[in-house]
Amino acid sequence: MRFIETRRNPWRTVSGEDGPVVDLQPAPNLLLDLAQWHAFRAQWPNGMAVGVALGNDVDVEELAPDLPRLSLVALSFPKWVDGRAYSQARLLRTRYRFTGEIRATGEVLVDMLPLLQRTGFDAVVLRADQSQDAARRALGFFPGHYQGDVQDRQPLFAKPEGTADALVKKAVPEFVSAGEGI
Amino acid sequence: MYQYTEFDRLFVRSRAAQFRDQLNRNLAGQLSDDEFRPLRLQNGWYVQRHAPMFRIAVPYGELSARQLRGLAGIAREFDRGYGHFTTRQNLQFNWIPLTRSADAMDALAAVDMHGIQTSGNCIRNITSDAFAGIAPDEVIDPRPYIEILRQWSTLHPEFAFLPRKFKIAVTGATEDRAAIGWHDIGLHLRRNDAGEIGFKVLAGGGMGRTPVIATTMREFVPWQQVLLFIEAIVRIYNRYGRRDNMYKARIKILVKAEGQKFIDAVNTEFANILEHDVGGTEHLIPQAEFDRVAASFRLPEGVVETTEAAPPQTDVEPAYARWLQRNVHAHRLAGHRAVTLSLKRPGQAPGDVTAEQMEAAAALADRYSHGELRVTHDQNLVLPWVRQRDLHALWQAAREASFATPNIGLLTDMIACPGGDFCALANARSIPVAAAITERFSDLDELYDIGDIDLHISGCINSCGHHHSGHIGVLGVDKDGAEWYQITLGGSDGSTLSGHAVPGKVIGPSFAADEVPDVIEAVVDTYRTRRAANEHFIDTVRRVGLDPFKTSANGVRRSTATAHAA
Repeated sequence: MRFIETRRNPWRTVSGEDGPVVDLQPAPNLLLDLAQWHAFRAQWPNGMAVGVALGNDVDVEELAPDLPRLSLVALSFPKWVDGRAYSQARLLRTRYRFTGEIRATGEVLVDMLPLLQRTGFDAVVLRADQSQDAARRALGFFPGHYQGDVQDRQPLFAKPEGTADALVKKAVPEFVSAGEGI
Repeated sequence: MYQYTEFDRLFVRSRAAQFRDQLNRNLAGQLSDDEFRPLRLQNGWYVQRHAPMFRIAVPYGELSARQLRGLAGIAREFDRGYGHFTTRQNLQFNWIPLTRSADAMDALAAVDMHGIQTSGNCIRNITSDAFAGIAPDEVIDPRPYIEILRQWSTLHPEFAFLPRKFKIAVTGATEDRAAIGWHDIGLHLRRNDAGEIGFKVLAGGGMGRTPVIATTMREFVPWQQVLLFIEAIVRIYNRYGRRDNMYKARIKILVKAEGQKFIDAVNTEFANILEHDVGGTEHLIPQAEFDRVAASFRLPEGVVETTEAAPPQTDVEPAYARWLQRNVHAHRLAGHRAVTLSLKRPGQAPGDVTAEQMEAAAALADRYSHGELRVTHDQNLVLPWVRQRDLHALWQAAREASFATPNIGLLTDMIACPGGDFCALANARSIPVAAAITERFSDLDELYDIGDIDLHISGCINSCGHHHSGHIGVLGVDKDGAEWYQITLGGSDGSTLSGHAVPGKVIGPSFAADEVPDVIEAVVDTYRTRRAANEHFIDTVRRVGLDPFKTSANGVRRSTATAHAA
């Protein structure tokens, strides 16, 4: 998981002071909203890095044909307890095979990290008051999970026999050394 | 019953460690109360009137004697010495300080239990028929399937923040004892014409402000595909369920609003998962996984069918005969019975148990039921593996331990939520109403004459006491800061006795608290006057309609008459 810091973020959004921008010029690393992208996608130069920010009430299906041209899709959490973007990310990855960056924006809290990682996000812009240390720690509590996810498609039951035991041994080192003295 | 693997144990301990980190950040001021709230809810910590309530998952109601002793220990060490069994087969504690919550979770993990997803807007603990695996009318034992569903839904990353709570109920018997029509998803295990096992899948049922009975999504989903079909339903709900109004956010509203379009969307989503998704078929349940889980649900060691003659059931003490009639149930294994330990007795709230009673129940389970118990949707305990020849001894022991009230299925075997005495959401108290009714109907002969009847009491419209599905429903409402109670008649949970699931109908303006026992009595008296031979309460209500009941209920208005006159 990459933690995006605002000052090192190469992506720029485009917004006019009075409504939609009419004189948008294609430039690398622009993060457009869906309307902007729809307006400019026909003339967008091939190979020029572009991203789209989707509202969480947008059907990702709308973006599916364009995904190969996009480097970044930013999904938003207007409220952190609104879980729609998890489904959007999951669909982008598993149904539409999007391989670019999926970035979480908006109200992104430390405790969302495991969910974000498992549904296909690979970058986050944490809310300003959130601690990166706590976020990294939040990713480390579980030895594995029951159900498959975007990161690891197989549920525990589909993995080779002995996987669950191996996860336990890895997580609890004393199990491994037990018996060494015999 | 299901046996935890080392992985399951580690998983629950990991969850406790994760929660401890969150709790510490909250106590240190790094995680605000508002942002901690959804996190603690998903672990069962729900701040109540006096202290946090801790709701503990009892998956599909199966509980071991060892676990019940563990719960008794937690009641003593962390709470004020008692707990409360709920209509969703869970257990709640009421007095544990939040600062000790992580310690209580560790204590719980030590007996292979947790509070994961017992609250919050996620897939909740899955409920079932309390007689799963032992009922004579069972077609397929649902427990292995539910355990697989439980694991799949546990910390599902995509579905942790749904628009609203999400409840699944499963049955595998002919009779629906799990009220599946009242759930967000109801699953009915069945065989198709080819003899293959699968699920009839319903969705969109629910109580609350707008009671709705679930709609059939598919008549038959092969068991191997059930996780994918449920994934399709929950994803459509996560994407399109309303989030602008908490009272319209349950899946029932989406299903009702969209109708066939919702069903079509689910079918398309299901097909997409199977046909288009990378790894879409990974969650087809393999036979080997089913076998691994099902191995936990073999008969307890030493349980064998016996052909021993049934002990005499006539010419016995009248009290014992009553207990046999009401608290003892048929079993699929010859020579065995299931026995209900009644948690409905004067002096204690419905479903409440003290630490001592938990230990006594655990001892009965060890002695008579291979260390196993069930929590029922009606807030009682069941011993599932009782030898017929032990019944008399068990009756005596249960009586000693206050569990032998012979009232199962009768008026005093009522469902009630904790209500305003504990719950911060409640508009009115449930426990004093339940106590007053229990006192009013203390005569067993009268109770037996009234016969089978479901009385359900909720302290507010959230419907934890399932008032919508009661033959008689009592709903606490708040009017100008005073407690009032709305009475409904004719509701059904979907059981054979009660008929197709349907919400009850209101019989008029609410009643004052002190009128409720009189109203119940008036309604019951009307039934006794109007009933045909051998006719149950619910059938009389359906046959004669609400009017005679309204008339008699209105006849007992005192405070309301005064209030309305003024």
